[in-house]
Amino acid sequence: MKRRFKPTLSGCVLAIAVIALVVIGPLLPAGLRSLLIDIMIFSIYAMAFDLLFGYSNQFSYGQATFFGLGAYGILLPVLHFGVNLWVGLLAALILCVVFGLGLGFISVRLGGAYFVIITIIFNMVFYLLSLDWTWLTGGDDGLTFTAPPVDLGLGQFSLYNPIVNYYFILAFLVVSYIVLRRLVESPIGKVLIAIRENEDRASLLGYNVFRYKLLAFVVSALFTGLAGALYALRNRYASADYFSIILSGEPIVWTIVGGSGTLIGPIIGVAIINPIIYYVGVFWKHYLIIIGLLLILIFRVSPKGIMGVIRSKIMGRG
Amino acid sequence: MDPMIAEFLNRFILVLTNGFIWALIVALVALGLSLIFGLMEIVNIAHGDLYMWGAVLAWYGVTLTGNFWVGVILAMAVMGGVGIVLERGALRPVEGIPAYTVVVTIGIGYILQQVALATFGGSPQKMPDPFPIVIEFLGVRYPGYRVFVAGVSTLALLGLWVFLFKTSIGLWIRASMQDREMANAMGVSVSKVYAVTFALGAMLAALGGALASPIVQVFYLMGYDLLVLAFIIVIVGGLGSLKGTLVAALIVCPLESVMTLIVTPTEARVISFLFMAAVLLVKPKGLFGA
Repeated sequence: MKRRFKPTLSGCVLAIAVIALVVIGPLLPAGLRSLLIDIMIFSIYAMAFDLLFGYSNQFSYGQATFFGLGAYGILLPVLHFGVNLWVGLLAALILCVVFGLGLGFISVRLGGAYFVIITIIFNMVFYLLSLDWTWLTGGDDGLTFTAPPVDLGLGQFSLYNPIVNYYFILAFLVVSYIVLRRLVESPIGKVLIAIRENEDRASLLGYNVFRYKLLAFVVSALFTGLAGALYALRNRYASADYFSIILSGEPIVWTIVGGSGTLIGPIIGVAIINPIIYYVGVFWKHYLIIIGLLLILIFRVSPKGIMGVIRSKIMGRG
Repeated sequence: MDPMIAEFLNRFILVLTNGFIWALIVALVALGLSLIFGLMEIVNIAHGDLYMWGAVLAWYGVTLTGNFWVGVILAMAVMGGVGIVLERGALRPVEGIPAYTVVVTIGIGYILQQVALATFGGSPQKMPDPFPIVIEFLGVRYPGYRVFVAGVSTLALLGLWVFLFKTSIGLWIRASMQDREMANAMGVSVSKVYAVTFALGAMLAALGGALASPIVQVFYLMGYDLLVLAFIIVIVGGLGSLKGTLVAALIVCPLESVMTLIVTPTEARVISFLFMAAVLLVKPKGLFGA
């Protein structure tokens, strides 16, 4: 037990960051708190993408599929059957695992460029269907629902209270980070990294590459779905836009800018990019041009993103 | 014959013909995508936006001069130039690493879309029919423009074939596709071949967009729809296989078109997707993949 809690520099920084988030939550102005909630939800989405790309070298451009499935996975049961929050969340996660297995079974074994293309295609299929099947999804207008209260056994808390909402999301972010961190540092994570570095070698060593990559794909789908479900809860709304291909591009931007294969990098990416979009988007609707230039130039500046710069310049590691 | 069956047959033939003509346009776009991937391993996410710009430029050309040919030539010339700039300026450092090319071409796509939104505007525009004549054949009335499109795209496909298989530049492109280092060692300027190929792909996409503009609505996000269709075709045919791309276009587009008789266009796209999934399960590298 003792060894597990050996303090590291990054561990201390993270602990301080979490304590800071806990303390400042109630003190923040409403607008900034709302932005921070978005950043925390998208951080889960970004880490889920990093597990897929940064740790198992599967570059997906279709993760919004699972974001949308997670959102509708909680919205529909709550709306139509009045289930409580935990049952709704569970339904969303199960839905994402089932579709993750199905879509992963087709796409994961292909790898490389085929994988990218297939994920785009299935994302577009889901997006078009969500636009078309308005009886189920509400299409472009979407569906609104009442967020059920958080029942912790001790008492019920309403998500309509912004402070409750803030801590609710923060708790999920911390849990997601811990689970994903432990996963990538477990023996399974080491095998994923081995596959990322050299798939043929990992295969020759006797590892079932397909199964490990499928596992990463499904776990990524699960956490992406969690982010989608939390986003639907926070907005009490979901629409076909939750499946949009633009939303699939966002974790790519965050992860590449922040630094892939680090889990923290993508969070930094969200924390930098989203405020830019939030503030620039107000007075310049073509802010995607900035993102576009960033994506074109990032590999010339630092192929490993911001975390790459931090690691080489500050911590002296390659 | 039962008039209901006759009516259905009439519609079936009409829809099937539409599907084949659409296949020729889509084949132009998909062949560019396939060429670019086959040579440089660029997964060009911005390809749909090059097609969109072809349609937008054609719209400008036709609106300003009233001559459809001006629109087509404007679209191809401008996008060819843009293609060279993009390949030299943005893609050169990441060629050969598919994931990185996706990131860079997503960026290019965003910029192309936003520039179109800023200049062309956000509302879909309808291009007037350049040849508003109706051709009647065996009692079936068919819009003259579509017949014209079939002719032009067939000529363009033949032209592409001649270019790739009968000219020295085409020989260099095919040689570089087979073995880049060997081609380079034999004195082929692979760097120039790359720029020419990307420009060629962009021009084919622009031609597709220009030809499609009177049939579909011109819109700054129209590229995504075609990108997905082109990707399905490229995957079914086998990535980088030109023959496969052409054959797959001639299978998938008519299939989707005929399906719209029974289901909605979106559900027809889902059927194409399932068809692709089935092909992949049987032949993971597509019909003609190496």
